[in-house]
Amino acid sequence: MPPQVSLKLSRVQGPQEEVLVQVATDMATEEVFDERWLVITNQRLLLLDTDTGDNDNDNDNDTDNDTDNGVWHWPLASVKGARVEALVGGGRLEIESNDGAPTHYLYYSNSLADKFGEIAEGISQLSRGEEMALPTQLERTRCARCNRVLPEKDGVCPACLKKLDTLKRLLRYFAPYRIRVALLLFVLAAETLIDLIPPFITQHIIDDVLVPRANLGLLAQLALALLGINVVGWFAWVSRRWLGTTVGFRAIEAMRMDLYRALQYLPLRSFDKRKVGGLISRMTNDSDLVEVYLIFDIPYIVNNTLMVIGILGILFYKSWELTLYVLLPVPFIIIGSSMIWQRMEAHWRRWSAKWSRLSSHLNESIRGIRVVKAFAQERREGQRFDRHNTDLRDVSVTAERTWVVFFMVTNFFMSFGVFFVWYFGGQQVLGDELTLGELMAFITFIWMLYQPLKWFGDFYGFMMRAYAGAERIFEIIDTRSEPFEEPGAVPMPRIEGRVRFCRASFGYDPGKPVLKDVELEVKPGEMIGLVGKSGAGKSTLIQLMCRFYDVTRGSLEIDGVDIRQIRLEDLRGQIGLVAQTSFLFNCTIAQNISYGRPGASFDEILRAARAANAHEFIVTKPDGYDMVVGEQGNKLSGGEKQRLAIARAILHDPRILILDEATSSLDTPTEKKIQEAISRLVAGRTTFAIAHRLTTLRSADRLVVLDAGKIVEVGTHEELMETQGYFYNFVKTQQETSAVTAVSG
Amino acid sequence: MATENGSAEPAKLNEKPGEKPGGKTNTNGKTDGKRAVTPITVTHPENVGVESIQLFREPPWMLRLTIQDDRSYLRVKIVRAAPLSHPNRYICILDAKDEEICMIDDPKLLASEMADIVKEELDRRYLTSTIERVTSVRNEFGTSYWDVLTNRGEREFVVQNASENAQWLGDHRLLLVDVDGNRFEISDLNALDKKSQGYVELVL
Repeated sequence: MPPQVSLKLSRVQGPQEEVLVQVATDMATEEVFDERWLVITNQRLLLLDTDTGDNDNDNDNDTDNDTDNGVWHWPLASVKGARVEALVGGGRLEIESNDGAPTHYLYYSNSLADKFGEIAEGISQLSRGEEMALPTQLERTRCARCNRVLPEKDGVCPACLKKLDTLKRLLRYFAPYRIRVALLLFVLAAETLIDLIPPFITQHIIDDVLVPRANLGLLAQLALALLGINVVGWFAWVSRRWLGTTVGFRAIEAMRMDLYRALQYLPLRSFDKRKVGGLISRMTNDSDLVEVYLIFDIPYIVNNTLMVIGILGILFYKSWELTLYVLLPVPFIIIGSSMIWQRMEAHWRRWSAKWSRLSSHLNESIRGIRVVKAFAQERREGQRFDRHNTDLRDVSVTAERTWVVFFMVTNFFMSFGVFFVWYFGGQQVLGDELTLGELMAFITFIWMLYQPLKWFGDFYGFMMRAYAGAERIFEIIDTRSEPFEEPGAVPMPRIEGRVRFCRASFGYDPGKPVLKDVELEVKPGEMIGLVGKSGAGKSTLIQLMCRFYDVTRGSLEIDGVDIRQIRLEDLRGQIGLVAQTSFLFNCTIAQNISYGRPGASFDEILRAARAANAHEFIVTKPDGYDMVVGEQGNKLSGGEKQRLAIARAILHDPRILILDEATSSLDTPTEKKIQEAISRLVAGRTTFAIAHRLTTLRSADRLVVLDAGKIVEVGTHEELMETQGYFYNFVKTQQETSAVTAVSG
Repeated sequence: MATENGSAEPAKLNEKPGEKPGGKTNTNGKTDGKRAVTPITVTHPENVGVESIQLFREPPWMLRLTIQDDRSYLRVKIVRAAPLSHPNRYICILDAKDEEICMIDDPKLLASEMADIVKEELDRRYLTSTIERVTSVRNEFGTSYWDVLTNRGEREFVVQNASENAQWLGDHRLLLVDVDGNRFEISDLNALDKKSQGYVELVL
């Protein structure tokens, strides 16, 4: 909080007044970006502007008693609640007074939308006399250290990466291969050394053979030595690559394994927050970045750094004056190349953007070829393609030109170094301070020195990207996994199936409850039908049963034990789920059925398939039970997939069964078959069924009607029809709609 | 909602400003002058004559709509149908459940005090800021950090993957959406100073 605002606050704060929350908007009004502070105390709401004057918002609201020393304030008793209105690109918090009139509006941009959603809920809780239950942690949008806005919420600040820590952690993956890594380093050093030898030999050839025009025997020896060095160098190169790739790929393999394990045990909550694509890209792109870094970049950097140091040492030893000339263009090479690298990167980015636009157009128009033809738009598509194609050509040309400029500029600076050495070195040769061979060696070394310098401009960027990738991977690995192996957990080898919700409340966001004070007791073996509009909380109730989430208040007990105490493996092992669209893995039908019980015998699989009415269609397939179902089971029809899912659930033999609209979107004869299968599956198990079709609901022992997160009605089908309440209306509308569909065909 | 088939029976308020946009937007390649465009006739309950629309604030913090001689809504919301391409036309009035009540094709046809209300409501709903100057843009690790002066004052924002989150609305008109979903518009790139243009070109 800025000083002038806290000063203002201290002027008006009463002795017993305790600040609960202070929060700033980023828009003073809908017209200006500026801070404005909302302070919630245990007595009132205060609104403070950042300016020091206190008179410029008289026009906002009229009643005099609203201000206290230029601070807007409202006693909590006069506040009825608060709500937010979502606007385009932002939102507005409305503080409502007891007479229904809004006392004030607070505008904020989208960056703070989540925060103010929680605040509104908090104010409403306070005004109802409840404790304010704000989430203790909001997603971080700015880096805690440098206050830079983060590229993704709760993400990694690319500027503040603890590079050394990340590097250390990366290197830990090499620990099992210590000896090989040591060997690798040795080979690397040897390789560098070997690379430095040939110029010395050529120096001898020139000085001792070519210049004196004598010593033919020596020439043969030296030439042979050159050959030998090359062979040794080649050998070193091969063994370096060999070692480097085996070690590097193994380290990467271990890292990917860690990442995958972490992903599998990640609580479901983390999957809500992140996009699936983002998670997959950590597995693919980020590990790729790290891979390239570990396998190619690190050896390259080590090799070239050694090389540069070695060459500089030799040059200084040979002639420090000439070396200074050599070094003269180096700063220019580094600065110039890093400048051009930046532009190069912009070009490459642009190029890949254009390229992806072209290919997505291609993809779209080929996939949609029927539509294109049906609307006779071939010519227009062609024109669109031409435009993308021309764009691509243009950026390619500019990129290529910049690339040429890059080489030109660096070579230009380098040639200065070469010029100096030839000129001053030549003078030294004439003055007999240097031999010709030495000069030639010098010049060879210069080129060897300059080449790696060219690429140093890019190393930093490359390294940073790899580190950011590694950091993103480690972030997943470090996320707390589900409490799978809690030491105090209660083992439950066989669940009876008694379920009890005890004033259970839950919200995906703490401020917005999806389920409120749910009270429900289910006897073992009972079948419960869950009814309600979409968004009423049916699916959430089921998610709680699977313990994908934990209740925020109240409790959920299974066989009298709080679900949070039951060993997760025992719990999930005895819950079966048949969803609306069943996910099948890309393996054989038999393998899919036995997914929940990998060791099942073929007889058991057969029985399960028969019970699920799946056997009849399986045997008509050419490969029968050995048929591979394709990605997500796409070689099967919806009804077939559903029956396999039921067979899978039957074989899994759950004690608690969950049917999530298992029979919707199927035609009537198939549905009948599935109904039959389901009734076999349900027998003797506690079942929760979400269904829209009344036929499914009729077989339920009791129906639970949910509305806006609350249970509004419980009873059998007949009872609920008699009371003519919520369920009755629900049935009526459904009958009417189906009548309309029947008429209109 | 399923009244699409009612073309045979004319609704009570049946003058069709809806044809104009239908004819206009249908320009994709077919307006070679060879084919006459078949007029599209739709009878929709949403089709309400401009003169029967009464908007007023009562109580002052609530916006009310009365369609003369027909019905009244206690709390309505005013939105743009095409906020980017037609910001000043095709204005929809939604009810408390976000369902459309009616559309005003051209708010200029409204009585002036009601046109004012519409403008006020739209101004407060659309918080897109217009960029007037780009102070600096840094491009790091595929993310661009912008520091700009807008019509609402100075602001910093971050755009990730600029090629995806920048939308060209015309040859020189650009919309940027930042990581939080805030919107920033450059209404005419050429009208910005040279330095600002340079920054934009560096990123896009």
